[in-house]
Amino acid sequence: MNTSGTVFDIGYQRYDGEREGRSRSRKAIFKDGVRTALGFGRGGKAKVLPWFFIGVLTMIGLVMAIIAGAANMMGGPGAADRNNIPSHGDYYGIVSIIVFVFAAVVGPELLCPDRRNGTINLYLVRPLLGSDYVAARWAAFLTVMLGTLWLPQLVLFLGRAGGDVSPGVYVQKHWLDIPRFLLAGAAMAAYATSLSLLIASFTKRRAYASVFMVGLFVITTPFTVGLAGEMKGALGQWLSMFTLSSIPLHVSDIIFGKPSELTDRAPAKALGSTVLVGWFLLWTFGAAALLWRRYRRLTP
Amino acid sequence: MASERPLLAVERLTKRYANVVALDDVTFAIHDGITGILGENGAGKSTTIRIVLGLTRPTSGTATVLGRNAFEDIEVRQRIGYMPEHDCLPSHVSAAEFLTHMAETSGIPPAAARTRAADTLRHVGLFEERYRAIGGYSTGMKQRVKLAQALVHDPAFVFLDEPTAGLDPAGREEMLALIRKTHREFGISVLFSSHLMGDVERTCDRIIVLQGGRLVRSGEVEQFTQETETVFIEVDENREALVEALERRGVRVASERSGLTIEGPDESVYDLVRDALVEAKAPLRRMAPRKHALTEIFERTGEHAKPAEVA
Repeated sequence: MNTSGTVFDIGYQRYDGEREGRSRSRKAIFKDGVRTALGFGRGGKAKVLPWFFIGVLTMIGLVMAIIAGAANMMGGPGAADRNNIPSHGDYYGIVSIIVFVFAAVVGPELLCPDRRNGTINLYLVRPLLGSDYVAARWAAFLTVMLGTLWLPQLVLFLGRAGGDVSPGVYVQKHWLDIPRFLLAGAAMAAYATSLSLLIASFTKRRAYASVFMVGLFVITTPFTVGLAGEMKGALGQWLSMFTLSSIPLHVSDIIFGKPSELTDRAPAKALGSTVLVGWFLLWTFGAAALLWRRYRRLTP
Repeated sequence: MASERPLLAVERLTKRYANVVALDDVTFAIHDGITGILGENGAGKSTTIRIVLGLTRPTSGTATVLGRNAFEDIEVRQRIGYMPEHDCLPSHVSAAEFLTHMAETSGIPPAAARTRAADTLRHVGLFEERYRAIGGYSTGMKQRVKLAQALVHDPAFVFLDEPTAGLDPAGREEMLALIRKTHREFGISVLFSSHLMGDVERTCDRIIVLQGGRLVRSGEVEQFTQETETVFIEVDENREALVEALERRGVRVASERSGLTIEGPDESVYDLVRDALVEAKAPLRRMAPRKHALTEIFERTGEHAKPAEVA
């Protein structure tokens, strides 16, 4: 047998295949955004934070399912519902602060390093506009946020169905919770994505953006809640609207048709559903529009 | 051989920023080959490149690359490569991952992008290191990654902004060799901006000289150096007497540390030198024609070095 052979270094080759232009370019930025947010293609350290948060949020959903299952076991069928054991409508309220911290920590990773490293200069000389870039990044982080928020709700639903005496009856009775938690999760994801990326667009340093957003949510909440409690009437109600962590939760309450523990006593509720939804849309799409505007004319 | 339609055409290009004219009525065309765009900091090199890439709108004039205006038609950027002067690389990803991503952002489908990334990294000599994070690379390796990302989508035309910046002499030679190879073996035309005239002289076929936002000169490198042929004379003694004898004969002579230079290329100058040497009784050690380096050409036009101010 002839074992000798020749190794050819084919090296650089000309490319005469398909070029997909701007649409491929946007898809590439989107794909890279999802991978960056989840730490794929990066070292182990980059995976720690996002997967820690995803793990904690999913674990909370699982624990809620276990508690409901235990309540049903001890109190008989339907005991979890009768005793108001927290369920889908309460989940987003329970985890809201963790979700906003997740958005604050992971969101800036999609924008800040590109400007700090100068990689944005390479994107903007490709078949891509600044607005394409930021829209693809926004969509990428929204996708990650949706997955992060929907997965625990799915675990909770399956856990509660599985822990029920008759899972089929549970699904039949509660199937409407699925579109509700999908819609409420989408509202919360869009809100957190827009604010997180807007804040990140003002600095090249991820840490500054993260600290600012955490501060904005964690520090302003007791402030506005306290002040709104002191003031009576319309002023108190509008002050209550500035509790940033509650803005998407009011929408969640409207979707589920009942208030959660966090928003039940908020004076803002008196302003009505239209105002609450409008306020949510203003913050979410206002932040997204401002973000888009900041990147629209960006040049290296 | 130059193709009929220029790859890059700049016509009466002017760019004003507040009260500074960055480019002032610049016109040139670039065909196939390696072209150097030469000028000091603030000469207008980067502004020209930014306008051609479609990143900045000119105040007036037009710039087209591959026959299209990159500001209005961004799809043309699929066929253009750009290597910026400054840092532009992420530190936490591998070169293979980064190049695949950059190929995709240039419009190449994912499967082809992976192949292109590997081929291009082999071309720049980083194939063995392709799975290491870029943050751990040396300056020279990072410059190669920067070049690779400009080539990964197989552009027809590539802009290299100060590609040898920050490199040691060996790294510089390797980078210049890569640039030559990129054109000569793969047919990719290059516009290479630099303030290092030696790099341009050794690498480019043609040069464009910008100063203070104005086009000072443009043409073949060979033509530049031939046009400015001089005769170099070295004598053992009586150098001052020789200078006087030459000047009496109407010869323009410049004194250097090691000898005298006389403007050519008129051959009658040799007769005049012979007569002057006899008159000055200056023993001739050496007389030879000499071409100017680009450095000398550049020094002659130094009076335009400052950006033009708008009144």
